Amino acid sequence: MAFTIPVGPYHPALEEPFKVSATCDGEIMRSAEIQVGFSFRGIELLAQKRNWTEAITLVERVCGICSNTHAMTFCMAAEKIAGITVPKRAQYVRTIVAELERLHSHLLWAGVGAEDIGFHSLFMEVYQAREKVMDLLEAITGNRVNYGMNRIGGINRDIPDPAIHRGALDALKGALTDVVVPAFTQNPTARARLIGIGPLSREQAIEWAVVGPVARASGVDMDVRRDEPYLVYDELDFRPSLRNDCDVFARVVVRVEEMLESIRLIEAALEKMPAGPIAATEGWAEIPPGETTVRIEAPRGEVLYHVVSDGGETPARVKIRTPSFVNIPAIEAMVPGQQLADLAIIQASVDPCISCTDR
Amino acid sequence: MTPFLAYALAFLVWPGLLVAAPLAWFELWLMRKALAKLQGRRGPPLFQPFFDWVKLMGKRTVIPEGVPRAAFVALPVIALASIAAALVVMPVPGNPAPRLPGDVVLLLYLLEVPVLCEVLAGYVGRSVYGEVGAMREALMSLAYNLPFLASVIAMAEWAGSFDLRTLAAAPFGLVHVVAGAAFLLALPARLKSNPFSIANAEHEIVAGGLIEYSGPLLGLFELAHALEIVVLTELFVILFVPMPAAPLAALVVWVAVGLALLMGLTLLAATTARLRLAQAFRFYWVWGGAMSVAALAAGLAR
Repeated sequence: MAFTIPVGPYHPALEEPFKVSATCDGEIMRSAEIQVGFSFRGIELLAQKRNWTEAITLVERVCGICSNTHAMTFCMAAEKIAGITVPKRAQYVRTIVAELERLHSHLLWAGVGAEDIGFHSLFMEVYQAREKVMDLLEAITGNRVNYGMNRIGGINRDIPDPAIHRGALDALKGALTDVVVPAFTQNPTARARLIGIGPLSREQAIEWAVVGPVARASGVDMDVRRDEPYLVYDELDFRPSLRNDCDVFARVVVRVEEMLESIRLIEAALEKMPAGPIAATEGWAEIPPGETTVRIEAPRGEVLYHVVSDGGETPARVKIRTPSFVNIPAIEAMVPGQQLADLAIIQASVDPCISCTDR
Repeated sequence: MTPFLAYALAFLVWPGLLVAAPLAWFELWLMRKALAKLQGRRGPPLFQPFFDWVKLMGKRTVIPEGVPRAAFVALPVIALASIAAALVVMPVPGNPAPRLPGDVVLLLYLLEVPVLCEVLAGYVGRSVYGEVGAMREALMSLAYNLPFLASVIAMAEWAGSFDLRTLAAAPFGLVHVVAGAAFLLALPARLKSNPFSIANAEHEIVAGGLIEYSGPLLGLFELAHALEIVVLTELFVILFVPMPAAPLAALVVWVAVGLALLMGLTLLAATTARLRLAQAFRFYWVWGGAMSVAALAAGLAR
């Protein structure tokens, strides 16, 4: 007997509204259909009606998890058009905030993933670790969600004493290596729920054009931080992680390795940070006519900003391509032949960010 | 005392609803508090399970369109009544109900009725989540009942009787250990706790079989489930734990075993992810099956 089971738009397994309709025979799923657009906000159009500084605040609200990514990428695009060179210290601070954001995004994902396999205790542990990252972000930026760190030409707040954050980073590393990583990779029930689930072969990954950890877990070796280094990643000896197992477990492992790598990057950046100004310009930035594209590696994968300026007060066009926009449809490829019980963790394994998708 | 009055007293007061319900809420609270402590949280206050229930009872009941009303209302009532009736046959001290011959069979039947009610509730509710939940509930009962029934039958074999008091008084032997282990194996699935919280897997099928239930009707189901914990812990102590003759010592053993059982269940739930239906089924038919054979063999080897 075939039946269709809807997950969403409002469902305990989802953080945000989107919908997966799975067609099942008993407990086996035959196919799935994805629907997005339940919270579309029209940010790209709104950005054309704000001046360049207001637009930073606007695009920061594309996503509540990778807010810094959007503000930073937008600023980088504007700087590229205006030919502004950002001071080194500001680039280091941007890298530190970006990697902290990746840590908190991956930890948030790990918590949601733990809930989706019915591992409530692990969710609690992960969120306690995430709280450490949030505290660190608050200590550095003054905010927990929208950090307001970026401006065109640099950053708004310096990290005056980098050494004081080392203790918090060590505590976080301890929580990760002692609790979160073993619970995901060694607990027999967690392994039973993760290994061999939601397969996405390398060919499928390329065909569906997935990006970020989902692609790297399917053996597609791509990471903007290494392929086209921005900020100071080339100075920090960044190493991407790659797995060839193509299942949910591989996606977990890739994210876990990325978290440990992020901690290493932050430690290195705090150490190497040179002295100097934190912004290249004072006051309002003047953006001359021009057009550019900037790619960076957000926590969920490659994010692309195409920004056009006609020399006026507002951007002429801001095109935002978020990683979830390409990763979410790939759920359809992961579902056939899988068990209904695994739908929650399969859809979660691409780390769907709906507010990014419905920007 | 007439038998009718005795049964009414046993059903409503002791060991029935009036005493067992607070006991059930206390046990629920113990498990929730222990779980919270294990997860680094503060946990609920003592009366929280009671408050939860009172709040449910004070809410409006919504009966969805197109469901058979009588069945929809009757199912939680039957579930609660049968689990309270199961309490009546428990040979606990001071139980006013007259002794029934063959009460083990009655007890096993009464314990199955709430499960059956939840399965039917899932199908009656006209929700696809409910249907999947009901199917899972039914399949899980096929799985965990193998070691559960085998453990009770092995004890009946050992005592040569289907009378609970005879079973409780049977001389201690290897069968107590083996059958007790088989019983414990079935317990987490019977109580739908992790890693076998499959029929009520919130992140997969929302509220499962009970999805369309709300207010007092849901409250009755919740109470029946809480009472199930009481019945099963009592049953474990009665069947498998040899009781000292002194009443005070017996009380201490009773409380200690009950507490150990609840804490064990909580610890298991806290350290596991939820298994898939097929994995749980395989677990119960392989390991539960092996335990069942061992228990039955131990029951025969007197």
